[in-house]
Amino acid sequence: MKGRTIGAVAVCGVAIVAIVVLGIVLSKNVVYFRTVSEAVEERAGGGGDGRLRLAGEVVPGSVTETAHGVRFEVTDGQATAQVVHRGDPPELFKEGAPVVCEGRWRDGDADVFSSDRILIKHGSEYKPPDVDSGKKASGTKASP
Amino acid sequence: MRAALGVLALAVGTSAAVLGIATLGLGLRRRDERLLRNGRRYVFVVLAAAVLAAGAMEWALLSHDFSIEYVADNNARATPTLFTITGLWAALEGSILLWALVLGGYLAFMARRFRDRATDPLVAWATLTGLVVALFFFVLMLGPANPFKTIADVPSDGAGPNPLLQNHPLMAFHPPILYLGYVGFTVPFSFAVAALVTGRFGEGWLADTRRATLVAWGFLTAGILLGAWWSYEVLGWGGYWAWDPVENASLLPWLTGTAFIHSVIVQERRGMLRVWNLSLVIATFCLTILGTFLTRSGVVDSVHSFTQSAIGPMLLGFLGIVAAVGIGLIAWRGDRLRAPGRIDSPVSRESAFLANNLLFAALAFVVLLGTVYPLLAEALQDRRLSVGEPYFDRMTTPIGIGLLFLMAAAPALPWRATTGEVLRRRLLLAAWMGAAAMAISVLLGARELAQVLTFGLAAFALAGIARQFAVGARAHGAARVVRSNPRLYGGLVVHVGVVLVAVAIASSSSYSTKREVRLREGESATVRGYTVTYLDGDTDRSGQKTTVSARVRLERGGDDLGVYAPAISTFPNSTQGIGTPSVRTGLREDLYLTLVSSPNQRGRITLGVAVNPLVLWLWLGGAVMAIGTLIALSPSLRAPLWRRRTRTIRDVRRQSEEEKEPVPV
Repeated sequence: MKGRTIGAVAVCGVAIVAIVVLGIVLSKNVVYFRTVSEAVEERAGGGGDGRLRLAGEVVPGSVTETAHGVRFEVTDGQATAQVVHRGDPPELFKEGAPVVCEGRWRDGDADVFSSDRILIKHGSEYKPPDVDSGKKASGTKASP
Repeated sequence: MRAALGVLALAVGTSAAVLGIATLGLGLRRRDERLLRNGRRYVFVVLAAAVLAAGAMEWALLSHDFSIEYVADNNARATPTLFTITGLWAALEGSILLWALVLGGYLAFMARRFRDRATDPLVAWATLTGLVVALFFFVLMLGPANPFKTIADVPSDGAGPNPLLQNHPLMAFHPPILYLGYVGFTVPFSFAVAALVTGRFGEGWLADTRRATLVAWGFLTAGILLGAWWSYEVLGWGGYWAWDPVENASLLPWLTGTAFIHSVIVQERRGMLRVWNLSLVIATFCLTILGTFLTRSGVVDSVHSFTQSAIGPMLLGFLGIVAAVGIGLIAWRGDRLRAPGRIDSPVSRESAFLANNLLFAALAFVVLLGTVYPLLAEALQDRRLSVGEPYFDRMTTPIGIGLLFLMAAAPALPWRATTGEVLRRRLLLAAWMGAAAMAISVLLGARELAQVLTFGLAAFALAGIARQFAVGARAHGAARVVRSNPRLYGGLVVHVGVVLVAVAIASSSSYSTKREVRLREGESATVRGYTVTYLDGDTDRSGQKTTVSARVRLERGGDDLGVYAPAISTFPNSTQGIGTPSVRTGLREDLYLTLVSSPNQRGRITLGVAVNPLVLWLWLGGAVMAIGTLIALSPSLRAPLWRRRTRTIRDVRRQSEEEKEPVPV
């Protein structure tokens, strides 16, 4: 009986440690989804340190090629943010296209969002892309 | 006409399910054998109705009957015939119809197989439960998910299927095979419910559903790997698994189902883990419903979009009912479920199976949490977020390695208890092989702990399996070894497939090289010894599809490896371009070419070049797992364990022989 009790305590201990680890790893890997104005507001308030997905429309005329990728602006009609993307944008990236950029705000440079992944929003039911309800482009991945 | 035929078939199916449930229920209540015999016949009516409805849908698709909304949305005159046929499972309503069809098939097989036991309350309750599930899907189709809804304003041409679904012939196989797996778990679930209701939760119901469970598991395994293959060959992002909610939805029931097919062995052999097995079966079925809910209600795109149709709430409600009934039944029978046996030693076969089950359950929990967390966060706190792949990778890798270790060591453990001497004799050589493989992989440049451990455990497992085949061949003769115990040796062949899959995943996830190069016509670039030269571009129109392709010459070390043509296709019904990667498949590595962007104004393309080692072994491993499942399903030369009620002298002698060496499962 004693052996069983020790075993039960050990199992509970392992389970508690596992759940704590699970919670920590999960919270570290959560990527928040923000529209441009939400993200800009959060940034102005001193937050927005983690990785996030920024949803907006590519501002026409703002796209320039850089040595490592592209630089452009995204807007949701209320706020605008500068995005510097490393790597080539996906095929459907063009001016006016609704995009979701994944990355983080550049340290020390308050207004520049450095992105390493651009998702062009689409659902499995194939409606035209819609920035407001877009959450995740399942399936097609831009290069990370 | 076709719509009317379809709706009629659905109505017939619904009525047959209701009548079947009523007849069986009444028969069970009155213990009326005649009613029970009649009740089971409704199963065949349900199947016939599902076949008729699916036939009406195929007829409508092939004749481009755009007065049916589903056909107008998922078909066009220019759609190739193959993708017209596969249109049946191109969207929500059709896939619910496919679900009902497959379920009808499984239920009919079940009714036929147990035709001699139609009056057995266990079989009657199982049939009744199966019919309730069928009724739910038929009602879904008569209500919010009606595939035969007509439109007043008939368009002259349809929109065509989802572009992703008409770009590769694999689409013809992946969904039906996945559904054969998914839906198949309804059979063990029905029997589990029947066992709880009738109070006969001994080993009988496990034996009755062993084959159906294995068939479902085999199809689900094949379906998941075909999905990964499709993702690799069609989606063109260079990988095969992205922890996407849709992928996770298919993996979750596989994890609990795999746990179940292992833990049933403990119950058959020792009578233990009864509650656990019932819980696993019910959980597996719940996860298939959850998966259907996740993939088919639009909830993944946004929690708030799924209430736009009644399908999401209905599936969620059904899931809740199934879970509540399952938990309620187990709680009700709890006192009578206590197992007669107990685990004697921590180093024994049953302990290893228990550890295997705990790890599979933990893995399922990790994947489930990562999949539903964004939904919960949005529903409860209105925060929109996603869970990044590193969460899944970091949490699943250690559990996967633990499972690999058990897979290598556990088949050599004897039941009940063991001695150091037995362990040494059975495991020492294999363990040394594993250590050698680890040393070799480090010498060859492997640095990450997870990879080195995977290679070592893979060798450990393979050596152990080879030893068991050798022992079997000595006892039964090389020709008869598999047939002497198909379940054991089929299982071991499945394990070989798992080893291949594990090695492929470990290699391709860490040793891939991926680069993007920008080339004008005639320019070259070199990636990991491969030289790619952009020759010229080409635009081709066929049907609804416009394809831009780039011809690329591939060379390595001066050898010409031929011309490859990655492409991007666009369809009028979508703004999304669909990449068609061009892959040079090899035993050692794949060269994976994608056209990232088609020629710009200056004629420059961006080409994705990836070198992915050992990916082919993932698909080969899947094939080996399928072969192993078929072997496990093949008839045995001797009576299976659960039929050996009376032991003859021969049985005893054989058993004592086996006790000395690895015990057949």
